[in-house]
Amino acid sequence: MFAPGSDRPFDRPGPDEARALIESCGLRFEPGYDDLAGLYEQGRLVACGARAGYVLKMLAIAPDHQGGDALGELVTRLVQSGLACGQDTLFVFTLPQNAPSFQALNFRLLAAHGQAALLECGPGLPAYLAEHAAQITPGRNGAVVINGNPFTLGHLHLVERAAARVDRLYLFVVREDSSVFPFAVRFRLAREATARLGNVTVLDTSRYAVSAGTFPSYFLKRLDSRSEAQMQIDLRLFAQHIAPSFHLAARFVGEEPLCPATAAYNRMMAEVLTEYGIALDIIPRIEAGGLPISATRVRAALRDGETKGLEQLVPPATLAFLSSEAARPIQTLLKES
Amino acid sequence: MRIRTKASAGTMQSSDLMVVVEPSETLRVDVDSTVKKQYEHLIRAQISATLEQLQVTAGHIKISDRGALDYAIAARVETAIRRAAKE
Repeated sequence: MFAPGSDRPFDRPGPDEARALIESCGLRFEPGYDDLAGLYEQGRLVACGARAGYVLKMLAIAPDHQGGDALGELVTRLVQSGLACGQDTLFVFTLPQNAPSFQALNFRLLAAHGQAALLECGPGLPAYLAEHAAQITPGRNGAVVINGNPFTLGHLHLVERAAARVDRLYLFVVREDSSVFPFAVRFRLAREATARLGNVTVLDTSRYAVSAGTFPSYFLKRLDSRSEAQMQIDLRLFAQHIAPSFHLAARFVGEEPLCPATAAYNRMMAEVLTEYGIALDIIPRIEAGGLPISATRVRAALRDGETKGLEQLVPPATLAFLSSEAARPIQTLLKES
Repeated sequence: MRIRTKASAGTMQSSDLMVVVEPSETLRVDVDSTVKKQYEHLIRAQISATLEQLQVTAGHIKISDRGALDYAIAARVETAIRRAAKE
């Protein structure tokens, strides 16, 4: 395919050309990617695939070119473009029957369930676990995973209750920057609010829980078969890889009376985690003024400019941030949305 | 030779390997290979020989191998290092 005199084997295909090949392979064409690579033979597009951030998607190979090394060539090209953008680890969602083709390219399988499999290549999960090895203590530990957008008294209540029931509580803050409050702020506020709790360690989830890689539709707050498949993958990755490494015997969540997507996630979590011998403890929400405290409520108050009474919803660290100059752009963002 | 910047060489095709090198204070070599069980020791020996020959004493070397032969390993590692040394 790299024969001298032939056309450049790689090119960026036009969206229509790519769409035709992708749809002929039974995949859905989704606009929104950083790189689209095509592999040509005698002027015909025979394979294409895209990279959106650290996620490879829409990898499609014409039937008469399957089983050869087209996938290797295509992935090489996308990995190189990822490296050039500082994305050393790349994820791919695929059908379970295609997982071995990726494993032959040294991708590691992170989780599989039903019609979906998630794999990654690069330093990835082993590097994440090695990075946190020093923070892992033995015992019967627990985990709380939060977005903390922003950190509220509800989160604090959940963490306090959970910490009282385990040897060490790992508070994982979602790394993905898809929320109004940037990760650095969410992480710092979680840390400051829980600093006085001696057995709580605040960590970032990297991309191994509720990320654009494991659970893209979480951020869309939408419920369908697709988001359900993603939830399954997200939970199984947690149960199979994160839980054993951190000696997690329990995961704690807040009761979810308001958001249907989160409520469905909690129900499925109970089912999946018990399969792996991990307990799910649901902690009732605390209320202020007769309504449950939630980050959604705090954001609504900020949007409407109702800053009075915020101290009943958020801990001092969050309150201090919200009244600082640094919170201005966030408030503007909320008002525009 | 000193690894000054991040660089890569090679492909993920069969019988080839992809090498990514990054600056680091210590020398660390990570090997992923489809034939890791059988040949990791030989892959590592080849990488060490190449690093020694180029007098590389520090850096993070990451290999994703699909059954490349010795000379391919030597060539890809050398290319990645020369790129990283900005020669």
